[in-house]
Amino acid sequence: MSSDIILVLVVGTALAFDFTNGFNDTANVVATTVSTGAAPPRVAITMAAILNFVGAFISLAVAATVANDIVDSGAITTTVVFAGLIGAIAWNLITWYFGLPSSSSHALIGGIVGSSVAAAGTSAVLTDGLVGKVLIPAVVAPILAFIVAGAGIVITYRVIGRLRPGPVTRGYRMGQVVSGGLLSLAHGTNDAQKTMGVITLALVANGNLSENASVPSWVVVAAATAIAAGTYFGGWRIIRTTGTRIIKMDAAQGFSAQGAAAAVILSSTHFGFPLSTTHVINGGVIGSGAAKRLSAVRWGVAGNIGMAWLLTLPAAAAFGAITYGITWIFGTGAAGPIVVSLIAISLVVYAFVRRARAGAPVPAAGS
Amino acid sequence: MNVIRATVVNTTDLLDTVLYAVVSGIGLALVFSLAIWGAIRFAEFSRDQRHLAAGGAAALSLLALAATLGAVVFGIILMAQK
Repeated sequence: MSSDIILVLVVGTALAFDFTNGFNDTANVVATTVSTGAAPPRVAITMAAILNFVGAFISLAVAATVANDIVDSGAITTTVVFAGLIGAIAWNLITWYFGLPSSSSHALIGGIVGSSVAAAGTSAVLTDGLVGKVLIPAVVAPILAFIVAGAGIVITYRVIGRLRPGPVTRGYRMGQVVSGGLLSLAHGTNDAQKTMGVITLALVANGNLSENASVPSWVVVAAATAIAAGTYFGGWRIIRTTGTRIIKMDAAQGFSAQGAAAAVILSSTHFGFPLSTTHVINGGVIGSGAAKRLSAVRWGVAGNIGMAWLLTLPAAAAFGAITYGITWIFGTGAAGPIVVSLIAISLVVYAFVRRARAGAPVPAAGS
Repeated sequence: MNVIRATVVNTTDLLDTVLYAVVSGIGLALVFSLAIWGAIRFAEFSRDQRHLAAGGAAALSLLALAATLGAVVFGIILMAQK
């Protein structure tokens, strides 16, 4: 009975995380579309929400990686998964509050790893999977997006450089509707699957599923719905950071950045690498800006984003470990997770009220 | 050392990811640029009464647009198959 209560809390928390993922992370996907004027914010966000929902149904390779290749599902409990999720949500909310596009994905993996280490020691972490499927792709992917977007915009300018700018801009704005849609789809495939993987991990840890079982259909539908809802309701503050503060870009650069990011995310998803879409799209944005003119990139802002990236894994791991420590004080039953849930809900409400009092959401350029 | 590295990192998958991303990302930028170039040049050639050149530009634009959409659809289908 106690373990089932914790499982319900884990599923609820995982879906809440998925919602915050959409809230905190997915808005980056539409930032370039909005900042270049390719689509109004409301249209871009609605389209992104729908395509995130659809994208979640395309593939399950990333969910399998998260469920089976990061931590040993036989060595952890549902409380461990719960603590990891709370650690990830805490870090997501902190970065959202300060308007930094951090990585929800790395926060999730960091949180789970931190709580697993706190509960069962370092042996619970599958180092091969963590290094080979998370850490190395995490380094490679943004660099790859940077290079592809940079090369893409160089080729683009070679082809369309002598044409009149007005029709070119209109053409690329139309193209951005497609590239932005593709990026939203890619985001849904990669990010929603992480939540599916975590819920599956909890179901295995609770004995509801056998190890290496496939993801249940209800988990897929629930995760797709949560990330789509989060996408629709959140993210205006972060749109501004990614869309206009890193670089003032034209529509061709936006297309190149989005196309490169979508290509990297879709390729990685195919092989089951749980990437940070935030890292990748920012890599593409900086690449398309730097290829045109190095000084066009606001390197100070890019540096702040880079610092948030570097901090995410260890910070979320620390929050995950601390959360597990708090639940441990209350024993192995459901009391600890219930107390932590109540504290977390209170803090979330407090953060939202403070943000609401601080003023209306920042409108994105072009709106 | 090489054995350990090969176990931790699936280099084949990683290199394939890099290859797919480079080819599809840069390819998408190239074909869509050609579509834009063809469409704009078509309008300019038509205005100048250069019908043959306009027809060529229109054909290039349509082909490049079809290649763009085809690449998007192919990418999604390929990913869904795994």
